[in-house]
Amino acid sequence: MATAGGKLESGTPGGRLTNVFGAAFAVLDRSRRLVWTDLFLLAGLGGLVYGLVHLARQWTGEMRPAVEIDLSLRALPGYALLSLSRGLAAYLLSLAFTLVYGYWAARDRIAERVLIPALDILQSIPVLGFMPGVVLGLVGLFPHSNVGLELASVIMIFTGQAWNMTFSFYHSLRSIPKDLTEVAILNRFGFWQRLTSVELPFSAIGLVWNSMMSMAGGWFFLMVSEAFVLGDKDFRLPGLGSYMSVAVAKGDGRAMAGAVVAMILMIVALDQLLWRPVVVWSQKFRLEESGQTEAMTSWFLDLVQHSRLLAFASSLLRRLVPEPAPRRPRRAGRPSRFRAPASLVSLVLFLALLALLAWGAVSLVALLRGVPEKTWSGIGLEALLTLARVLLATVLGTLWTLPAGLAIGLSPRLSRILQPVVQVVASFPAPMLFPAAVAVLRALGVGLGLGSVVLMLLGTQWYVLFNVIAGATAIPADLREATRIYRLGGWQRFRELYFPAVFPYLVTGWVTAAGGAWNASIVSEYVSYRGEVLQTLGLGARISSAAGSAQFAVLAAAITVMAAMVAVFNRLVWRRLNVIAEARFSLSR
Amino acid sequence: MPEAPALPTSNVEVLCELRQVDKEFPQGKGSPLQVLKDISLSIRPNEVVALLGPSGCGKSTILRILAGLTAPTRGEVLYHSAPLSGLNPGIGFVFQSFALYPWMTVTQNVEAVLRAKGLSPDEVATRCHRAVQMVGLSGFEDAYPRELSGGMKQRVGMARAFSLDPEMLFMDEPFSQVDALTAESLRAEVLDLWGSENRNPTSIVMVSHDIKEVVFMADRIVLLDASPGRVRTVLENGLSRPRDYRSPELLQLVDKLHDLITGMEMPDQAAPQKGATFEPLPAAGASEIMGLLEYLDSRGGQEDVFKIASDTGQEFGRLMAVVNAAELLDLVDTPKRMVVQTAPGQRLVRAASDLRQSLWRDQLLKLRLFQVVFESLDRQEKHRLDRDFVLETIALNLPSEDYERTFQTFVNWGRFGELFAYDEASEAITLP
Repeated sequence: MATAGGKLESGTPGGRLTNVFGAAFAVLDRSRRLVWTDLFLLAGLGGLVYGLVHLARQWTGEMRPAVEIDLSLRALPGYALLSLSRGLAAYLLSLAFTLVYGYWAARDRIAERVLIPALDILQSIPVLGFMPGVVLGLVGLFPHSNVGLELASVIMIFTGQAWNMTFSFYHSLRSIPKDLTEVAILNRFGFWQRLTSVELPFSAIGLVWNSMMSMAGGWFFLMVSEAFVLGDKDFRLPGLGSYMSVAVAKGDGRAMAGAVVAMILMIVALDQLLWRPVVVWSQKFRLEESGQTEAMTSWFLDLVQHSRLLAFASSLLRRLVPEPAPRRPRRAGRPSRFRAPASLVSLVLFLALLALLAWGAVSLVALLRGVPEKTWSGIGLEALLTLARVLLATVLGTLWTLPAGLAIGLSPRLSRILQPVVQVVASFPAPMLFPAAVAVLRALGVGLGLGSVVLMLLGTQWYVLFNVIAGATAIPADLREATRIYRLGGWQRFRELYFPAVFPYLVTGWVTAAGGAWNASIVSEYVSYRGEVLQTLGLGARISSAAGSAQFAVLAAAITVMAAMVAVFNRLVWRRLNVIAEARFSLSR
Repeated sequence: MPEAPALPTSNVEVLCELRQVDKEFPQGKGSPLQVLKDISLSIRPNEVVALLGPSGCGKSTILRILAGLTAPTRGEVLYHSAPLSGLNPGIGFVFQSFALYPWMTVTQNVEAVLRAKGLSPDEVATRCHRAVQMVGLSGFEDAYPRELSGGMKQRVGMARAFSLDPEMLFMDEPFSQVDALTAESLRAEVLDLWGSENRNPTSIVMVSHDIKEVVFMADRIVLLDASPGRVRTVLENGLSRPRDYRSPELLQLVDKLHDLITGMEMPDQAAPQKGATFEPLPAAGASEIMGLLEYLDSRGGQEDVFKIASDTGQEFGRLMAVVNAAELLDLVDTPKRMVVQTAPGQRLVRAASDLRQSLWRDQLLKLRLFQVVFESLDRQEKHRLDRDFVLETIALNLPSEDYERTFQTFVNWGRFGELFAYDEASEAITLP
């Protein structure tokens, strides 16, 4: 997914949903009966353990390529839990990948030249591009248990999460202020101390915001990741995504609505119980002195911090784990960034990576050679059609989100109420709404040719809205006052202040939205609806149908074209716009 | 006050030494930028050495080479008479920008460097406690840097340096981001710590651009010249301690430094024929030059340069750039320490705004760089030149200058006189 790394951190809106919950829990807090808190946490812990056991049973269970999905509402919580654990597992994988890959790219000047372009290409490959290889490989590796299939699903979610986090981490590492690095070098911080006391803290805020974005991006293909067809094989894992797929196929309206509600609840719960506390905690890694006027709060973090149980547990832990033995001081020596063994490992890894890339390129070329010329020209035409749709979706999305975002962002009251709502809506996987949207489109007599633009919009316009709101909130008060004092009219105000001021944010929104729209074309140009398949001419439809009918050469060709289009477009259009935005319209310079 | 040699006579013990050090930084275009040339300097026990010079003379680079953070391009760095490889093991470093980790409390900031040394947890705690107490931060142990004022932050920076019990204390413009009163007390405290018997740091090396500060603190003052940075002279300061800012001896030394600096920065010998060779452009804005002229005009046309600095609150190095720019443009003259308006300068400042521009243009076109670019613009069919053309002209003819900065000044001056227009988006210079 072509998401922009790290940009959001400057103006990411803080959710205010917290206040509602905060008020409710203040009652508990005021009574000082912290026992409740502890009971609550204990229950949560119990749930977690149960979930893990449940998951382990599912993973190690016997191989069932296509499990029967129980469409009763009672089964929903279990399915939601399984999907949640897949999402979290994928996230942990993304985090591990980010730390290793980002660190390597930032610290090794030679490897960087390959790693960063490679990441650029990776992020422009849609999830379905990874599917056949990952699924067939992993299922082949574990032929008798579910592990292979589960891992495949997790990895597919991972491919929707990892890249922008990695970019953010890499950029953070590269932009650590010189004096902070000098302190570490002068005092001979070891690798571990440098990582934990300089590099990770400095990257924390960017990493946290991008983690939230990534988690949301990962849900987008949940339905595809849990239920997919590969040639004559039908794969289905128990989970919220496959529940929705089956409900759509059977036309079960009640189950569909149930799945949508469950998804919303899951997103809200994740936001409140995981991300909000983490965001509040990460504020201690802020670099600037001032900035944020209103301190962010999290009721859940307060709750946890007030828990007696937790305090007891952490003191127990501290007593059980001995202090680390003092290290021997290093002798004076050149402040080598990489000591000999480390640079050797890096070199070996780098050569291995180059070999892997070369092998991949050769086998890709071999695969692509089998694609007839006629198919290529067809793919070319479809690529242009999809490009037109992506641009149309971006333009349409901007047309309404720009005024709406300004209205919300410029009014403190509106943004207080609507911002958390927008955040939840933006994380909601749009494909779950496609059946309803298709029904409406059909009733209106709109074909999928144009209808797919609407479907793309459903998924991607939120990124633009989100960013415009963030930009509007960041407009300095003095500039707004000046337009009032000099009596600038509405249109002039928009043209001369609001539009330029939100432009950098708008570009970020566009990059994310367009990247998302390319990805969404795969599911919106090719929709299964009540047992039948609707499709229209386009690159996304080509990818979906090629995957469905196991035409791997065609699939590879279509994916290559899409990745190339995304990469070229990023370089030629978005990056230039970004440079202009930074140079001309940045308010922080 | 005799001038002392930069290198000590052979039988004096030396802690740390630079021998004929050059430092160059690579530039994108043309030859590398030389920031230091033939620097020889030694640090002896029990002394405070100050590096004084205009901005861009490479003072901080010298300090970083002594610390082992940067390697010299040529020349030797010695530590206790042996070549220094890697970091200098005997130093504590205080940064201009404090360089505190904002996510760590005062204690954690200090402890981080102690832990890196591999001390035992008890030792870490004791040393941290002692250092925090030493700089008067008791009670602030658990505060985060963002809760502290600039002066308190620098105290943390100093506690961090002292906690290592360093042989030498290196300070890079330590008080320039601290308010004046706090700076005063920090200076005295540092000297107190240094002055107490048998205690580290034995010596202090500090970088500063504040003449009074240097005279108040240093035993030896190394006066540096800019582009490329060279040791101009080394002054021995034998005033007894504690020193008094108002003592005649101290004021006399300040005065001597003023003379030395003006002799160095505003040389009186006749400048070479204007327009014959490319003149380096001092980094001063046109509006600053106009400001200087207005200032002089309202004070009878002349003033002592140090009086101007204290009147306007300008940092001395910056003011020098403005004065030199005005002199280059023939708007002022600088006999000794005085800045005197010239006839063209007076005409310019008293002219109406449209006439001002044409007068300014006339002065610009006496400079070679402006002549060359203007003629090329005139010759071009579309009267349009790329930024790169000008950058190359600068890099080719002024190899020891930072061409990006020179270009900025060039555009600033040209725009002010409407000699040409510059469009940042297309990076093109056009005739208006």
